Amino acid sequence: MHPGRTARNHLRATAAISGIPIGRVEEVLAEVGLETAADQRAGKFSLGMRQRLALAAALLGDPQVLLLDEPSNGLDPDGIRWLRDYLSDFAARGGTVFVSSHLISELSMFAHDLVVLGGGRLLAAESVEAITSRNDTAVIVQTPQPVELLELLAGYDLVAEAAGDRLIVRGTSRAAVSRIAFDNHIRVHELTETSQSLEDSLLHMTRASAEFASA
Amino acid sequence: MTTTHAPTYRIPEITSPTEHRPTTRAKGDDTRALAAALKSEWIKASTVRATRAILLLTVAGGLLVSWAVATLVTDEVLYLSEVGFYWSSVSSMLAAIGGVLLFGSEVQHGTLAAAVAARPARWVIALSKTLTAAALGLVLGVVGLATGFGGAALAGLGSGDTSALAATLGWAVLFTTLSAVLGLGIGMIFRHSTGAIGSLLVWGFVIENLFTVFLPEQVARLLPFYAGNHLLAYNSDFDSATAIAIALSRPENALVFGGYTAVALAVGTALLYRRDTD
Repeated sequence: MHPGRTARNHLRATAAISGIPIGRVEEVLAEVGLETAADQRAGKFSLGMRQRLALAAALLGDPQVLLLDEPSNGLDPDGIRWLRDYLSDFAARGGTVFVSSHLISELSMFAHDLVVLGGGRLLAAESVEAITSRNDTAVIVQTPQPVELLELLAGYDLVAEAAGDRLIVRGTSRAAVSRIAFDNHIRVHELTETSQSLEDSLLHMTRASAEFASA
Repeated sequence: MTTTHAPTYRIPEITSPTEHRPTTRAKGDDTRALAAALKSEWIKASTVRATRAILLLTVAGGLLVSWAVATLVTDEVLYLSEVGFYWSSVSSMLAAIGGVLLFGSEVQHGTLAAAVAARPARWVIALSKTLTAAALGLVLGVVGLATGFGGAALAGLGSGDTSALAATLGWAVLFTTLSAVLGLGIGMIFRHSTGAIGSLLVWGFVIENLFTVFLPEQVARLLPFYAGNHLLAYNSDFDSATAIAIALSRPENALVFGGYTAVALAVGTALLYRRDTD
């Protein structure tokens, strides 16, 4: 966008060349919350406001599909939440949103499906749930009798590792660990089932294709 | 982001497909798209400060230069019908700069890609920009002449021989109009505003003036701004008696300058097809 042109005029020019009625400009300015800044030059805009203006330009043609590259880049927390809500609402109204992003935690809050690319190859194209659930879950047990519980679990062929007064048990469920402890009179202070975060899952998937990695 | 706020109303359901975005593109659509592209170009040209600055410079410079020449030159008798055209040489260069910016700023700020995405037919983009540049040159030509004559009139010059005034006004406006289109063509070739404007100024004010001194008159008269400036009513002080004797007629000068303009525009358009691929 030309830094010397106002947001409204930028959108008017974009609408005109696309054969879109100029009246649509006011609608998209309202949609992205830029009405009060519409007559400011784009060069004076913050990065977040420029992102909103770019989104407004994309919305001019009333699209069914939005293709956005790092849309939350430069947005403040309020802006990120607004964008997330807007895109979720867009999808809820029947639209499709493609978002290219490296902010995995951000994606995990509103994406339904993920396409993971690494080293130029397609690594996965699945739902967020499928990607996070295909990795092992772990049960964390806090107990004053870790040694006894460790021995008991070994008897059930369960792998566990001790970390102070906690045990991390893999390959089972919280209910199974609870039943073993209860049946054997082992006191338990805390029982938590954890699954890998989306970020952990994606990092695990792309580790082999990472071009640069920290030691 | 203190000046923004979240929207408070729910936007309508997404419709499918939209009337704005047909799924196929026919040849007739491109022709109809020209009006849309022209409207967009005019919005772009009229909403940047550079265009307003060029217009302001044309007004202020025309008034000031004509008034100053009419007031300060005392060793010869000057007339309105002569001094009124002096500023047109510069306003033509300003029009050429305006033409460069019509394309150069689009490349620099990335809006050309959006325009090409909206209107994939390159000739639509090229023709709409050419017509916009011509309109800009026409406006600058008229304004430059009005202020040039206005400044000379304010200094109290007599009108002089006005028998060829109407025709010369027409040639002068043609010169600025073609200059803007020439600038557009050069901008399309360079794709870099500063480089294109710098080259135009160095060529127009330095290199061509040197060529007119060192090249044979038969060749020098075919230089672009030499021919363009000779569309105006006066001969340059640098013109020799031989140069005046073999000077081209105004239609011939218009053809020479128009030829350079056409070549620059054709090369620029060809590069638009070649560089900005789908």
